[in-house]
Amino acid sequence: MTVSRSAIEAELLEWMGSRDWRTDDPRFERIALDLFAFQFEACAPYGRYCTSLGASPATVRSWREIPAVPTGAFKELPLRCFPEQDVRVVFRTSGTSTERRGELSLDDPAIYEASLLPTLRRFLFPKLEPDQRTTIRVLAPSPGEAPDSSLSYMFGHALDTLGDAHSGYDSIGGVLQTKTLRDALELACSQGRPVALCGTAFSFVHCIDELARTGDAFDLPEGSRVMETGGFKGRSREISRDELYGWIGEQLGVATDSIVNQYGMTELGSQFYDSVLNEPGRPRRKLGPPWARVRIVDPETGRDAGPGEAGMIAIHDLANTGSVAAILTADLGRTVADGFEVLGRAPGAEARGCSIAADAMLGEAG
Amino acid sequence: MSPDEIAAARRRLCDAGAALRRRPASRTLDALVRVVDGWCDPASPWRARLERELPAATGFTAPVVAEGLARGLEPWSGAALRDVARSELEAVVRPGTPTLVAGFDLTSVLLAGAIPTPTLLALLLPLVIHSPVLARTSARDPLTARLVADSIHEMDSQLGDCVEVVSFPSDDLACSNELLRADCVVASGSDETIAAIRGRLRPSQRLVAYGHRCSLAVLGPGATRDTSLADVADRLALDTALWDQLGCLSPVAVYVVDPEAGSAERVAGALAGALGALEKDLPRGEIETAAAAAIARERAEAEMRGAAVHRSEGTQWSVVLEADAGWRPAPLHRFLHVHPVADTGALFEAIAPLAPHLAAVALEGFGDDDALAQTLAIFGASRVCRAGRMQAPPLGWHHDGQPLLLPLARIGDLET
Repeated sequence: MTVSRSAIEAELLEWMGSRDWRTDDPRFERIALDLFAFQFEACAPYGRYCTSLGASPATVRSWREIPAVPTGAFKELPLRCFPEQDVRVVFRTSGTSTERRGELSLDDPAIYEASLLPTLRRFLFPKLEPDQRTTIRVLAPSPGEAPDSSLSYMFGHALDTLGDAHSGYDSIGGVLQTKTLRDALELACSQGRPVALCGTAFSFVHCIDELARTGDAFDLPEGSRVMETGGFKGRSREISRDELYGWIGEQLGVATDSIVNQYGMTELGSQFYDSVLNEPGRPRRKLGPPWARVRIVDPETGRDAGPGEAGMIAIHDLANTGSVAAILTADLGRTVADGFEVLGRAPGAEARGCSIAADAMLGEAG
Repeated sequence: MSPDEIAAARRRLCDAGAALRRRPASRTLDALVRVVDGWCDPASPWRARLERELPAATGFTAPVVAEGLARGLEPWSGAALRDVARSELEAVVRPGTPTLVAGFDLTSVLLAGAIPTPTLLALLLPLVIHSPVLARTSARDPLTARLVADSIHEMDSQLGDCVEVVSFPSDDLACSNELLRADCVVASGSDETIAAIRGRLRPSQRLVAYGHRCSLAVLGPGATRDTSLADVADRLALDTALWDQLGCLSPVAVYVVDPEAGSAERVAGALAGALGALEKDLPRGEIETAAAAAIARERAEAEMRGAAVHRSEGTQWSVVLEADAGWRPAPLHRFLHVHPVADTGALFEAIAPLAPHLAAVALEGFGDDDALAQTLAIFGASRVCRAGRMQAPPLGWHHDGQPLLLPLARIGDLET
């Protein structure tokens, strides 16, 4: 008999709130199979897909056998397990006005929030006491300004629950607010108060450019940290992560071992973070919460790639209760110890050879 | 390679070009005709060496290289090059007004891709009008341009002195700046690459660009039914398998214009069978993980939207039967989308966004009526051909709809 979504979510909320980060294979397996059975029935496009692959709750015996949905499908199909009228929040992938954008719909953000907060705490603020707050400056739009951005939603929730009175947004209308940022950083420096600067990788490029232009440089107080996320897709400039981290060190005084890359995406309810703050001294790798697991998949066979071998990153995220838990990302990665490393974005079909992007063509045609 | 070395090559070429221009054009053309005839000869040592070494250099399998060269060079000849020279150069001459047609002091050629025949022609054409050539190899084929240059030198050392081949990483700005100092620049690549190059040239410099292109097949009722289907599918599968679908003349989509129920399903099934059979004789080369991932994702996305996916066990070939005519991205490496379309009106509506990027269209199954072929050519296709001939363009094919020599030439009318 299929376990109800509410029963699954009740157990997940208990797990997410327990601060128990030990790997629990039986628990993950059981919830993953229960959730698969529910989503197979409740999400019609996903059920059809699984059936076409010969996978069903009757045949699947392990979470590793649960078919993963490519992120591109979120652009074309309503992948949700509840009626459209129950949609409360819609997150959309970034893209131009002519591109189709992927969508993740939520009918209740409780699980989403319950997943993101302990993970953020563990990997970005591992020493923050439960009742303690800290200064968070965000180089991204606020949720009010970008209501369909999952990143802004996450930052908004982080500010609400962890941010102190000095926290805030330093990006309005896509424009870096240099004065507010400079004032906030100067005040933090004068008070010796650590700051967490958060934003997209490209927003840090803008920030560093601006500081360099005005000749400003900061040596942020000890305990300060940077969280950056995303890549440079569609941007006018691309720089390496090493280069970016070097600039952050020079202009903000934040050492590389205090810079955390977050790996997340609109289609996921959970996020992964570099391990450097949580496990200083150990190799940098991506780690996530115990209710989300990663497979590195060999694209030729569909089976797990060997240790250290490159493959497609597939994520099984139990926090995706209302959509689909098993997601095939567009990224390549490899396992590193108990975590993984992101090697980069696999080129989209549209970017290869003499083919051309459907979206670009549609734009031209329009 | 350093910027200084490229600058030195440029100077050598300009000197060699000045000497070349003092000799009769007919002597140069005769030598180039012999070069082409040499490459067209399967027993040519240069061609044999290319066949031997290209697989390791590019990742194509040896049978694909051998078959691709055989089919690609089969319609070529030295005489065809002579015809191109004659027809294009004579076309600009007006009775009573002497007209000077000359190459630039230097033509820089930025090669792209891994298919050897366009490289061969790209190095020869500027020489026809006495312009020396400085060519940068493509990242995917470091071999062909050097062999072609050596073969020219062997045939005619003075002509050979007018070709130099250089290699450097694409992000080496100093080297590319030196390369782009030629009066005429020929560039193949993505639209982004072409735009970037255009932005780095002076207005007075000539840019001859070959941008983003793709090809497709259109099948009518005469090709989708009965015994003709297997034959057409075999030929289209060959067009797809040659050069592992990485050329601009490789079909990426097949449009089935046949109202009969099940026609597109039949075509997809036949293509799958043909591609599967070809994998034995013309196996696809190894591909990078990223390319395999793109195929795996595209297959999964197709399955998610309910399309029927015919596939090899690995990523060697894929045929996706789409439910509609809407264009889909192509991950290449032997990946075809098959689209049903109700009629030719719907066909042109479906491919309208492709028009600026269209190269070849394989047309089958519409009888002797060539009205559709003419419409496709007007629509943007620079080649309309039979299935099985897509990878064998004539030497004189108007690549991207342009003349071959005239874009490389300075033309002056000498009025008295």
